[in-house]
Amino acid sequence: MTFAIQFVIDVLSLGGAYALMALGLVIVYGILRLVNFAYGELIMVAGYTMFLFSGSGLPWLVMAAVAVIMAVLAGIATDYVAFRPVRAKSVTAVLITSFAFSTLLQNAALLFISPRPQTVPLPALFSQTVTIGGAITPLRNLITIAAAVILLALFALLMRRTVLGIAMRAAATNFTMARMLGVPANLIISSAFAISGFLAGVVGLLWIGRIGTVVPGIGLEPLLVAFIATVIGGMRSLSGAVIGGFLLALIDTTLNYTLSQDLLKFRDAFTFSLVILILLWRPEGLVKGPATGQRT
Amino acid sequence: MKRHILTAAILAGLVVLAVLASQLLGIRLYDRIVTNLCISLVLVLGLQLFMGNSGILSFAHMGFMGVGAYTSAVLSIPAQMKGMALPDLYPFLQGVELSPYLSIAIAGVMAAVVAAVVSYPLMRLSDAAAVITSFALLVVLYTVMTNWSALTNGPRTLFGLPKATDIYLSAFVAILAVIGALIFKESRTGRLLRTSRDDERAAAAIGVNIPALRWRAFVVAALFAGIGGALWGHFITSFSPKAFYLKETFVILSMLVIGGANTVTGAVVGTFIVTIAYEGLRGLEGVLNEAKVTGEPVIGLTEIVLALAMIAVLILRPGGLFPTREIGALLRRRMETRK
Amino acid sequence: MLEVVDLEVRYGAIRALRGISLTVKKGELVALIGANGAGKSSAMMCIAGALKAAGGSVRLVGEDITSGKPESIVRRGIATVPETRDVFPDLTVDENLTLGGYTRRGDAAGLAEDRAKMFALFPRLAERCGQPAGTLSGGEQQMLVIARAMMSRPKMLLLDEPSLGLAPVIVDQIFAMIAQLKAAGTTILLVEQNVAKALSVADRVYVMRLGRIAASGTAAEISAATDLSALYLGAEP
Repeated sequence: MTFAIQFVIDVLSLGGAYALMALGLVIVYGILRLVNFAYGELIMVAGYTMFLFSGSGLPWLVMAAVAVIMAVLAGIATDYVAFRPVRAKSVTAVLITSFAFSTLLQNAALLFISPRPQTVPLPALFSQTVTIGGAITPLRNLITIAAAVILLALFALLMRRTVLGIAMRAAATNFTMARMLGVPANLIISSAFAISGFLAGVVGLLWIGRIGTVVPGIGLEPLLVAFIATVIGGMRSLSGAVIGGFLLALIDTTLNYTLSQDLLKFRDAFTFSLVILILLWRPEGLVKGPATGQRT
Repeated sequence: MKRHILTAAILAGLVVLAVLASQLLGIRLYDRIVTNLCISLVLVLGLQLFMGNSGILSFAHMGFMGVGAYTSAVLSIPAQMKGMALPDLYPFLQGVELSPYLSIAIAGVMAAVVAAVVSYPLMRLSDAAAVITSFALLVVLYTVMTNWSALTNGPRTLFGLPKATDIYLSAFVAILAVIGALIFKESRTGRLLRTSRDDERAAAAIGVNIPALRWRAFVVAALFAGIGGALWGHFITSFSPKAFYLKETFVILSMLVIGGANTVTGAVVGTFIVTIAYEGLRGLEGVLNEAKVTGEPVIGLTEIVLALAMIAVLILRPGGLFPTREIGALLRRRMETRK
Repeated sequence: MLEVVDLEVRYGAIRALRGISLTVKKGELVALIGANGAGKSSAMMCIAGALKAAGGSVRLVGEDITSGKPESIVRRGIATVPETRDVFPDLTVDENLTLGGYTRRGDAAGLAEDRAKMFALFPRLAERCGQPAGTLSGGEQQMLVIARAMMSRPKMLLLDEPSLGLAPVIVDQIFAMIAQLKAAGTTILLVEQNVAKALSVADRVYVMRLGRIAASGTAAEISAATDLSALYLGAEP
C-alpha cells in the first residue's frame, strides 16, 4: 500500500511537470507546425533569473514571479529573433534559427554568468518531507502536483473561455481562415510564445527545485521530455500533450522501479526509440489532433 | 560530372592551397587547423550531400561520425593497450589490431551500414516529423555511445588510438569528398532527389520512390560522417561521446548554413569561413582568459558569434553564400557574359 | 462600395486572373459566374487578402485595400466565406460565431444581439450551438460559415460557391437565406457555378472565362442572352 502511494505520487508529480513542459512546446507547434528548439532555454532563463536575484533579499515569491516574467519575455524574443524573420521562408530555416537561438542563449549564460552550476534560492517548503499513508515524500512533489493541476485548469479556462484562447485553437486548425475572420496572425503567434514561456518559467522553478542549481545546459532534458511527450500525445493536440506527459512519467517511473542499473542507463535510448517508432507507426501521434493545418 | 570539373578543380585547389600555406609557414598550429578543416570538410560535405539534395534537415549526422570514430578505435587500438583503454571489451575483439588506414575505411562502411539499417523507415517522413526523428536518432546514438561501455569505455575518455591522420591524408580525403559530393549531385539519384524536393507530389506522380532516394543519400552521407569521424579519432587520439552531440552538430550545421546547403561550393566555403572564424574567436577567448579580464573563464563567445552569424544569414540570405550555383558555373557564366 | 480594377493573380507562371474589373454598389447582390478554373475563386481570395495581387487594385469605399493582410481586410469591412467551407471543426458552433465577431470583441451587447439574429435566421444553428462544428452536416456548416461571417457586421460579404456539394433541397434553403440577407440590406459578391440559382438572387452578373470578364449586365440581361452557354463554356459565337 505504501509502495502504491509512493508510486502514484511519483508518477503524478513527474507527470505534472512533464505535462506542463509538453504543453509549452505543443502550443507553439500546434499553431506554427514548427519545433522550437530554444524551448529548454526558457527554463534556463527562469533559473538564472532566480540565481541573479538570489542576493536581492526579495521574498521568494516575488523572485519567482520575476523569473516567470523573464521566461515569458524570452519566449516572445524567440518569436522575434528566430521565427518571425524566417517564418515565410522555409521550415528548415526556422528549425535551424531556433536551434541557433538555443545555442546563443546557452552560450550567453556560459559567457556572462558561468559554466559552473549556480545555486538557486529555494523556499524552505521545497526541502521538507511529509508522510502520507506511510509513504515519505518530499513536499516539493505535492507542490508540483498542485501547481500542475492549477495551471492545467487555468490553461483550459483560457483556451475555452476567452476569445484569445478560442482564436488560438482556431488558428491551430486553420490559420488562414482565422485570419480571414480578423484574427491577427502575429498576435496569435506571440501569445503562443508568451504562454510557452509562462509554462516553461513555472515548470522551470519546479524542475530546478529538484536539484537546487542551474547550469547552461539545464534546458536539454526538459526539451527532450517535451519532445517525447508531445510525440506520444499527438504533436498537435493540447490534451494529447498532457496525456503524453503523464504517460511518459508512468513509463519512466515504472522503468526506474523495474530496470536494473545496467539497463537503466539506456532509458533515454529506449524512450527515444519509442518516439521514432510512434512517429513511424502514427505520424500524427497516438492522440489525434485537429484535422487540418496550415502554416502562414 | 563534366560540368563540374572546373568547380572540383577550384575547390580542390583551395584545399591544396591551405595545405601549402600551412607547410610553407611551418607553424605547428596551422598544421593542426588545416587538418581540422579538412576533417570538417568531409563531415560538412556529407551533410550537404543529404540536406542539399533532399532538402531535409538531419541532426543525426554527428551520431554517425561517432559510430565511425568508435569503430575505428575498437579495430585499431593496439592489442596490448586494449586492456587499459577498453577493459570490458568482448574477447573476440581483444586481439584485433588493424592498420588505422584499413580501420578508417571500415569505419565509414560501418556508419553507412548502421545508417542503412536504422534509417530506411524514417525516410518517408518530411518536414518537422523528419527533423524530430533525426534528433531522436542522435539522442539514441549518443545514449548508446555513452553507455555501451564494452565498446566505448562509456562516458569516459577513450584513449590509445594510433595517430594516423596527418594533414596530407586529411586533405586527400577532403578532396575525394568534394569530388564524391559533386558526383552524387549529378548522379541520377541526386537529380531526382532535387526534383522531388522542389515538388514532392509531381515526383511521386511520375513514379519516383522518394524514400528510397533519400535513403541512398542518407547512407552515403553516413559513410562520409563515419570516415570523417575515424579520421578525427586518429588525429586527436582520445575522445569521449560528448564530441558527437549537439554542440558539434551546431558547428557543422553553421558551416553548411553559412556557406549554402544547396551547393558543394557553399559547403566548402562555409567550412573555410567558419573554421577561420572559429579559430580566431577561440584565440580571442584565449587572450581574454590570459588577460583575466573577468574572474570567470571566457567561454561561449565563439558560439554566440556563430549563432548570430547563422541567424543573420538565414534572415538576409536564406540560401547561404552560394545558394544555387556552383563556383565553376558562376565563373563560366561571368566569362560568357564578358564575351 | 467595392471597385476592382485590372486585378491580376499569378501562381508561378500561370496567370489565373488576367486583369479583371468589376464594381459592387451598396446594397447590391452581384454574382460572378463561370466554369471551373475561370478564376472566380482566385478573384475572391485576392480581394479577401488571402492571395497576393500581381497587378491592379481593389478599393473599398474609395480606400485602397489591394493585397492587404486578410485580418486587416476584415477590419475594413469585407467578410469572406471561402468555398472550402472552413468551419473550425473542433470548436463549437457558438465558439465559431464568437470568432466571427472577433473584430468587434469589445461590443458584448451588439454581439449578443447579432448572435440572436443569426440564430433566428438559421434556427438549425441555435439547436446545435454547443456541438463541435465538425459534427454538422454540409448544409449546416454552410449556414454556420455565413452566420459567422455576418457576425463581423461587414459592409460587404464575399460568398464563394455556397451551393458546392450540397443537395438541391439544401441549396434552395441556403439561397433563400442569401435572399433574406440581401433583403436586410447586406451588400454581397457571390461566386457561383449554379447559374440558375445565382441569376435568381443577383441584381447584376459578371461572367468570367479564362481569367477575364467575358460579359456583364443585369441578371435579366444575362438570363436573356442566348449566347450565355456559349460565353460560359467558351465556344466562339
